[in-house]
Amino acid sequence: MIRRRLALVALLAGLAMAAGAGPVRADALQDIKSKGVLVVGVKADYPPFGYRAPNGDIIGIEPDLARDVAKRLGVKVQLVPVVAANRIQFLEQGKIDLLIATMSDTPERARVVAIVKPDYYASGYSLMLPKSIKITAWDQLKGKPVCAIQGAFYNKQVAKKFGVQVIAFTGVAEALTAMKQGRCIGFLYDDTAIEGQMLRPEWSAYAMPLPSQDAQPWGLAVRKGERSFYDFMAKTVADWHKTGLILKLETKYGVTQHSKFAEEMHGKYE
Amino acid sequence: MTDRVLPVILPLPKALRRDASSSRLCLSLWHAIALAAFVALTAMAADAATGQPTRASVLVVLARWSPLLLRGFGFNILISLMAMAIGTALGVFLGLGLVSPRRPVHALSWVLTEFFRNAPWLVLLFFMIYMLPFRIQIGPLSIALPDWVKAVIGLGLPVMANVAEIMRGAVQSIHPGQWEAAESLGFTRNQQLWQIVLPQCLKRMIPPWMNLYAILAMGTTLASIVGVNDVVTLAGQVQAAEGGRTDLLAPLYGYVLLLFFIYSYPIALLTQRLERRYAVHI
Amino acid sequence: MHGIAIWFRHLYETTGINLTIAYDPFDRARFLDGFLVTLELSAITIIGSIVVGVIGAWLQGARLVWTRRIVQVYIQLFRNTPPLVQMFFFYFGLSSLLPTIKNSFGMQEPPVSGFAWACISLIFFAGAFNVEIFRSGIEAIPSSTIEAAEALGYTRLQTYLNVVLPLAMRVCLPALTNNLVNLIKTTTLAYAIAVPELLYVSNQIWSDSVNVPVMMVVLFIIYTALVGLLVAAMKAWERALHRPGLGT
Repeated sequence: MIRRRLALVALLAGLAMAAGAGPVRADALQDIKSKGVLVVGVKADYPPFGYRAPNGDIIGIEPDLARDVAKRLGVKVQLVPVVAANRIQFLEQGKIDLLIATMSDTPERARVVAIVKPDYYASGYSLMLPKSIKITAWDQLKGKPVCAIQGAFYNKQVAKKFGVQVIAFTGVAEALTAMKQGRCIGFLYDDTAIEGQMLRPEWSAYAMPLPSQDAQPWGLAVRKGERSFYDFMAKTVADWHKTGLILKLETKYGVTQHSKFAEEMHGKYE
Repeated sequence: MTDRVLPVILPLPKALRRDASSSRLCLSLWHAIALAAFVALTAMAADAATGQPTRASVLVVLARWSPLLLRGFGFNILISLMAMAIGTALGVFLGLGLVSPRRPVHALSWVLTEFFRNAPWLVLLFFMIYMLPFRIQIGPLSIALPDWVKAVIGLGLPVMANVAEIMRGAVQSIHPGQWEAAESLGFTRNQQLWQIVLPQCLKRMIPPWMNLYAILAMGTTLASIVGVNDVVTLAGQVQAAEGGRTDLLAPLYGYVLLLFFIYSYPIALLTQRLERRYAVHI
Repeated sequence: MHGIAIWFRHLYETTGINLTIAYDPFDRARFLDGFLVTLELSAITIIGSIVVGVIGAWLQGARLVWTRRIVQVYIQLFRNTPPLVQMFFFYFGLSSLLPTIKNSFGMQEPPVSGFAWACISLIFFAGAFNVEIFRSGIEAIPSSTIEAAEALGYTRLQTYLNVVLPLAMRVCLPALTNNLVNLIKTTTLAYAIAVPELLYVSNQIWSDSVNVPVMMVVLFIIYTALVGLLVAAMKAWERALHRPGLGT
């Protein structure tokens, strides 16, 4: 009886330790090279940055960047689709080595993971509105309901700054349905994603008339404390800006107007 | 039951004392037909409301996506069965702790039971999705924890607490005289529990246990909110794949309601019958 | 108040325990709003579902077979389907079939808000359980009591409201308490249709501040307290209703 109970205690303790300890690595850079695969978390629902091709592959600007990193390391690349709600956890827990997933560089996130400087891109937020609605300035939205996505960091800012009534849904499909039903006048989302959305014919009656707000730099991230990998990635991003790789990829994936941030960075590093 | 509450002279008037089971049983098929008709009706209403003959009729759309939706529903059932198995196994242990005469064991079991019974299921699911690692390492063994496994755990914990509570209730429903009688016959406490009390409890626990399962089966849809690809998520994806037609939503969700009803209603009927058969007469 | 805010900010900087609702006025305001919405949702649905239960149990005693059947269909439909899908069906599905109204900024808008749909679907869901609970209570009332009331000249409705229901209530209070506790927990589903209740605002806050564990603990504490409050209130009601010789 006693022995059985001791065994149970030992098992529980073992479980607790296993759950708490997590992966331990000496050096991520060495590790990636020795296993020959770089695992990168990217978006799969965010054209043109990361989306599914009809054959199921994930393609887009960020997967191309991931391939570039792998090429520099001389290893193969493995792409893991992530969403905003799990990307940081995946990186922390070691499921992915590198995160390139449209993540804005915020101080709160920088406390949890190492966000690589310089940042590689930037986007603001804007509003997708039916063309029938005549709104020309953000101030005109005061008190009006706007559909959004749970978890977007600008929901708070828009509510605070413009007094907009934000109605946040769990996914893009729900938010767009609610907008179609007239539960809100527009859809608040990343300007880059709205542009991608409006390329599709079913949204031809909608426009993005308001100026983008609060451009936030996007950072790619590695786990905290991985000095050599971090330095390697910082050099890589600087090189992307120098060679204008990001501007080239924008053109490759149909973005007609170059991002101001990418152009500025290109000018700065060239 | 009635006799115990207040003395009775005459039986209850008919209107108040219908035998509920008979009226319910003959309604079973009727219900399903009514619901199917209801889905078809919403489909036709949706067709009529749009009045665009170029688009596929709602019923055609439902038929086209049925295999996918049914597979999604199968996933819900799989999640419910696994959560029930885990929850029951753990719940029996917790229930034993609840009826334990040892103070610390009882107190700890009580705290766990109350916590997992009072926490909203959706909050528990969020908790598991965010807090559990995606992979756990036990020595050389590495177990992956995808979101649906976390959902199984998140749903299994409240099941555990409810099973424990059902067990406690059943044990308490055994007359205390039986414990004393067994003790006077020289049974140890463990023997009293396992050989005298628990065998009698088993029958009484089955109906509430089945009720719990029905509730859990409904609860599996919550997994869709935390990102598991269940039938509810799929219904949303079907709508998106059909070009975001809002007229499809009522028939699609109606169809999902129908699937759950067809699955859960027979269980409810069986539970009622067992409840009546195992009713405790003291 | 200010001192408390400073202390919680210090707590964040030193330990990483980030309780934004204690020091950030915006977060505190929306968290309070969410709490109030949850309270409102709980209060409305508790009262509504009891009313549905009382009416449903009355109709179940009706002489017309079809009235009883319709009540049965209602109960079985709502008991045996997931409340989340019911809510989606109402909010997304029925809304797009119902006529719309023109709102202040010239757009067509559904006439029933998300909050109202959440109340309606939760009331129907919990109400279905309440009908069965009240019915089991009514079945425990001896016919002699009802006949005594009828002999005193009470009509059927008067008998139900003044004699049957108060007695049945005593018998079924424990089951009712259980169901209402479940109802409070189920109000979190309103999150899925963007009703800004407690889980919804907490999700917003933990997305902004990356403080999931802290907000989780806060949520658990609040729901445990709400449930505890309800159970205490129901216990008090049970004591107030207690008559020697009736019930267990």
